[in-house]
Amino acid sequence: MNLFEKIEPLLLRVQKPARYIGGEPGSIMKDKSQIKARFAFCFPDRYDVGMSHLGMKVLYAVINKRPEYWCERVFAPDTDFEALMREQKLPLYALESLEPVRDFDFIGFTLQYELCYTNILNMLDLAGVPVMQRDRGESIAPIVCAGGSCACNPEPLADFIDMFFIGEGEELDLEVMDLYVKMRDAGATRSEFLKAAAQIQGVYVPSLYDVSYNEDGTVKAVTPRDGAPAVVKKRIIENFDACPAPDSFVVPFSEIVHDRAVTEVLRGCLRGCRFCQAGFLYRPFREKTPETICEHSKKLIDNTGYEELSLCSLSTSDHSRIEEMMDGLLTFTENEHINLSLPSLRVDNFSTGLMNRLRRVRSSGLTFAPEAGTQRMRDVINKNVTEEELMRTCRIAFNAGQTSVKLYFMMGLPTETDEDIRGIIELAQRVVDMYYEMNQRPKGKPVQISCSIATFVPKPFTPFEFHPQDTREMIAHKQKVLEEAVAGHKRIRASWHFPDTSILEAVLAKGDRRLCAVIYSAWKRGCIFDAWSEHFRYDLWLEAFAEAGLNVEFYANRPRSYDEVFPWDHIDYYVDKAFLIRENEKAKQAQTTKHCRLSCAGCGVTKVTGHPCFDYTQTSES
Amino acid sequence: MVPVRATFEKRRRAKYISHLDLMRCMQRAFRRAGVPIWFTEGFNPHAYLMFPLALSLGYESGCECMDFRIDGDMPMEEAMERLNRVLPPDLQLKSVAAPVRKHTDIAFADYAVVLDCADGTPAEALRRAWDAFIAQPQILVEKKTKRGTAEVDVKEKAQIMETETLESGIRLQLRMPAGTSVNVNPGLLTDAFAVWLPAHEPDVRMGMMHAERLAILCEDGTPFV
Repeated sequence: MNLFEKIEPLLLRVQKPARYIGGEPGSIMKDKSQIKARFAFCFPDRYDVGMSHLGMKVLYAVINKRPEYWCERVFAPDTDFEALMREQKLPLYALESLEPVRDFDFIGFTLQYELCYTNILNMLDLAGVPVMQRDRGESIAPIVCAGGSCACNPEPLADFIDMFFIGEGEELDLEVMDLYVKMRDAGATRSEFLKAAAQIQGVYVPSLYDVSYNEDGTVKAVTPRDGAPAVVKKRIIENFDACPAPDSFVVPFSEIVHDRAVTEVLRGCLRGCRFCQAGFLYRPFREKTPETICEHSKKLIDNTGYEELSLCSLSTSDHSRIEEMMDGLLTFTENEHINLSLPSLRVDNFSTGLMNRLRRVRSSGLTFAPEAGTQRMRDVINKNVTEEELMRTCRIAFNAGQTSVKLYFMMGLPTETDEDIRGIIELAQRVVDMYYEMNQRPKGKPVQISCSIATFVPKPFTPFEFHPQDTREMIAHKQKVLEEAVAGHKRIRASWHFPDTSILEAVLAKGDRRLCAVIYSAWKRGCIFDAWSEHFRYDLWLEAFAEAGLNVEFYANRPRSYDEVFPWDHIDYYVDKAFLIRENEKAKQAQTTKHCRLSCAGCGVTKVTGHPCFDYTQTSES
Repeated sequence: MVPVRATFEKRRRAKYISHLDLMRCMQRAFRRAGVPIWFTEGFNPHAYLMFPLALSLGYESGCECMDFRIDGDMPMEEAMERLNRVLPPDLQLKSVAAPVRKHTDIAFADYAVVLDCADGTPAEALRRAWDAFIAQPQILVEKKTKRGTAEVDVKEKAQIMETETLESGIRLQLRMPAGTSVNVNPGLLTDAFAVWLPAHEPDVRMGMMHAERLAILCEDGTPFV
């Protein structure tokens, strides 16, 4: 059922209607009669955010490469369009076929951020699919699934999702679809399929696990049923360089957040920053060769027509052959009027050679993330960056004519004192002083240092998973310290946010299954788009917690002991808990751990890959 | 360097591409198509593309116009073929030719506007209401301009070429002033009707408006392209 006739009368009544009608170049149309299974890839946020997400483009390409499968895109409608959809009884539809999502075989959500969870419930409801998994009956379709980084602790969504994909999806999604087609054609029910799918490595079916609790509210045990594995192991792509990257994107008509071609240059991170969840979830560190990267980028530009190319990774400057890669990319981008942008650069290996290459790239200012203001604090979080290195990098940037630098920091880190907070501004001031001491500084231009200070959220699968988050009062105090510290510093701008969203993020990140009731109740009370400050209603969330008899502090502000059973302990990302404990103990002593290329810290991932991540027999470069 | 004036159509899903987005969409299409478009010179070179007359969001058209220059020896017919292969099916080039008229020659545009009946309103009733509305000596509307708003007598501006009663609606063919200096959208007239209707004919209900640009014309009534 194509909904075009129903959609069209609503479009001129809403903001940016191009978001709701599809038809963009690169969007893949197929003949429905030739299709064995349809996958609605749902991004639980607005079009302009979701369309910027590389993971969606990757899986869209992977699934659509198979002629018998059709993957389409779905985004959360903005509130103006949602109101009209509900008024006109227009169900949630996919952008390629304009057909209702409820008629698809799979409805798959990508979980990039905890504060999108209520949008998932809202999208299911708009689709006319029961929000609770147990209400979906025995008919096999649609299967509601979810993957992405937040799936590492799937428990707060356990009541809503039929199956989670743990780890990298490039192979896993297709294996699950293949099994689905086989079983559906043989007449299998939903529960039969879910039981069978749970045997595929990387599939987690929460309804096949019983969770019991201790009197103090912590998890006692997670017990599998019906042959489901006791521990669900994540999937890893073995040969990353050969793993096909999408050589075409859907190119949107309307402007989106990241409107450019993107090439993934490496996956995983070798740094081991103790606060960074992605740095542990995406191990091991794997690179694409400069040849693969250049060939792919060229193809992507040719197929999308984009005028800008960006490199994507957790730390691009850690690529072992970055200068070679940059030379290759610059050769064709300069010839073809393509702008090249490089996010995720580090300050400790930012060479003049790289800067010279970057100067040929039009840039709107440099951004670095020292993360903490004092060396002690940076050692605690294992951000192996020294002040000298930051200064050197800023000097290179200033020499190249830059006059503004943006610095990212966190507050609320373990062991943090008021001194560390004041250290943020002191550090920024030393960058300012250095600028004015330079002889070759850009003449007549004042320097501007912008410091953005986020509230730290302890996350599962990091050495800080044991740590309580700072309370609202502690954060308020530290923000006051910051405010006083920055007063009178004319060349420094500091910005921070109210901590409520970070508190909710911590709760949802480290929560258990009982939070399903809270999320459901918050959504029923009207919470959606929690990540957007204009929609965020912390008061309604607190009501939802109260109704469920739960409190925020239990999840966010409670120190967790090393022997506590965590809600996510039955999910395995190959990072040993013993390693996390070791790292946490070193953090308390402000001791750093070398990055993986220098020496192996023994996180546990080699047990699975079967070989060291780097060749330690040769002399390593830093 | 070969200057080219192309006409293209904008239908169905492509109707909702805004004018600004259309520019970006076409620039990217040139790159995908491998058509060597001429880049402006200077510090920030960009593909040179010119749309002499913007089309309102949601309007269909079979006669949109775009100027560009081919920087090389590709025949313009091949450029059109290549572009059509990489453009969405609802956004396709119809013709290419060397530009003849100047942009400033544009004086009028013709539109077909269909007003649907809603809530069981008979087409005859909507037609009678329209006839009464248009019989007014003046139809004053607020028009947004670069310097704020101005009051315009939209009746004086619009030439109504045809009025037709359809099965469930009415169809108007309008000639409106168009061009770089004056530009009057037929939506001004139909919006005024939508405001007038409940106050004067409360039982007559209007549904969706469908608008299509039929032609871009010069002062003497000949087509711009």
